[in-house]
Amino acid sequence: MLRFWNDKLTACALFVAVVFGPACAHRKAVVAPEPQAGVETEKPAPEPAGGGTTTVTPEPRISAAENPEGAIQAGELPANLEEINKAGYLKDAFFDTDKADLRPDARDLLAADASWLKSHPSVKFLVEGHCDERNTEEYNLALGWRRANAVKGYLTSLGVVADRISTISYGEEKPFATCHNESCWSQNRRAHFVVTAR
Amino acid sequence: MRNGLLVIGACAIALAAADRAAAQEEVYLKVTSPGLSRVIIAMAEVPSRQGTDSGAAATLLATLRRDLDETAVVGLVAQENARLVIVDPNNPTLTHQRWRAVGAQFLLDGSIAGAGNQLVLEAQLWDLTSGEVAYSRRFQGTVNLAVTMAHSLANELIHLFTGKPGPFLSRIAFVSDRSGNKELWVMRWDGSEPQQLTSHRSIALSPAWSPDGQWLAFTSFLRGSPQLFIFRPREGYLKALSSLPGVNSSPSFSPDGKLVAFAAGEGGETDIFVVPAEGGTPVRLTHTRGISTQPAWSPSGRQIVFTSSVGGSPQLYMMDAEGTNVRRLTFEDKYADEASWAPDGVAVAYTTLVEDRFQIATLDLRTGARTIIPGPGNNESPCWSPDGTVLAFVSNRTGAKQIFITDQIGRPRQITTEGNNVQPAWVALVQ
Repeated sequence: MLRFWNDKLTACALFVAVVFGPACAHRKAVVAPEPQAGVETEKPAPEPAGGGTTTVTPEPRISAAENPEGAIQAGELPANLEEINKAGYLKDAFFDTDKADLRPDARDLLAADASWLKSHPSVKFLVEGHCDERNTEEYNLALGWRRANAVKGYLTSLGVVADRISTISYGEEKPFATCHNESCWSQNRRAHFVVTAR
Repeated sequence: MRNGLLVIGACAIALAAADRAAAQEEVYLKVTSPGLSRVIIAMAEVPSRQGTDSGAAATLLATLRRDLDETAVVGLVAQENARLVIVDPNNPTLTHQRWRAVGAQFLLDGSIAGAGNQLVLEAQLWDLTSGEVAYSRRFQGTVNLAVTMAHSLANELIHLFTGKPGPFLSRIAFVSDRSGNKELWVMRWDGSEPQQLTSHRSIALSPAWSPDGQWLAFTSFLRGSPQLFIFRPREGYLKALSSLPGVNSSPSFSPDGKLVAFAAGEGGETDIFVVPAEGGTPVRLTHTRGISTQPAWSPSGRQIVFTSSVGGSPQLYMMDAEGTNVRRLTFEDKYADEASWAPDGVAVAYTTLVEDRFQIATLDLRTGARTIIPGPGNNESPCWSPDGTVLAFVSNRTGAKQIFITDQIGRPRQITTEGNNVQPAWVALVQ
């Protein structure tokens, strides 16, 4: 029976792939390219496989070699983690309601984050998944977990080594803005970066 | 029928009462169906014999009176009507007729005696239609148990009419931020006597009772990432049950108390797992893409209802307790989450979305019929009382999130006020 469920899921996934091709391609691009673990972070990200299914163009890469300031910046980071985090070198990614897919604006910000991270290869960081207050606490905890891992998947696809990235979900438990309408909710649907080691 | 009619215990009188309850159950159950009026009980003056602690006796009677007026099952004759009844001690038949004339169907009378720190309550319930004693019972205990004695009697009277014990000794565990952090709390079923159970200064989530009321499973960020813990409130004993990757959230005990279902998963996925309550290696039950969370074990132990976004929006699904035979339960809802099984196993209450507001709904598992229980504001986290007559839920209708209890004749009552209070979990008795 377990197989039956798996088969159903596979069938379902295929159905989704057929009907919602482009959305699926986004997802695929996020997940598919495994980084060459720990070897080269400077190398351009591998092209997402399957020309027909992808709509994602590879992000422009800025390697440390092309951007010498980047390499120097590593030494110029504030000594204190709190100050690094206050300075906001890494930009948070925002999400649509009930979604963990990365929006184009989130991809742009994350591409810049990936560049910064690759020019600061000793930095380790936590990606926190956050949600607005709608949906139940438990569902939001799971949704935040998806968001954090979607960001981790995208960053690794851009060449950031997975070992540097931890993920956690806070669901709706630690809102950035506390009003009860969309102006706050949109602020709270995010993946937030916390640098944990310089 | 899963109604444990013999749950009262070994007391011969109680068993006799339960037998009578069984004999009369069908008749009385009809009275308590939704839309029909409650069973109306008259409460006679209960005299205290000389030497009784008068304070304890007054506490007992006040508690009993309040209990009997606070469920959908029974109600008391209104005080102004009760005052009209002239009791003739030499003519009980005439007195019974007078009680019937003011709307009473049953008469509770008795006496309280005691010496020193002992208290004895003798109670009889008269069926005013047949003129017979429907129930009689003697309670004895120390004066500090006066409240417990009243709750025990009220529980047994509810049992007489529904086949299930009443809620009066039950407790609701919940999450409150009134101390500044989300901690576990517990209170009586009516919101009184709130008690803080944890002081972790972290985030506590989704408490679930073991069926015997000895253990609470819950999620805590105590050690950084969310982990599943099991906790013994009486002793403050705490141990980790799961630190799998992922959310480690929304535990639900199997009805035999041996297993805990919960949600966790790697790489952004969330699936349902089961772990022995004593500790051990979690076993994965679902293999969904996306989010599967909020398992709720059926009272029979054979099924688990859970929430899954596998079909797009979150919907309720049911599977056998081994993870097989997965089927979707909800089709009419834009959103369905937080299933709570009715104790009789024939319905689940859950959270749905109606016109952009969260509302409580029930789903009859025999017919598939869905009933929305609409209310102002957002309403979520339904949880049945152990007797299945009342629902607790969370609403922001008065501002902050507060716990309410409702009943099948639609009387919601707010039972918390301080801070935000969420995720009620109700158990018949705490051990």
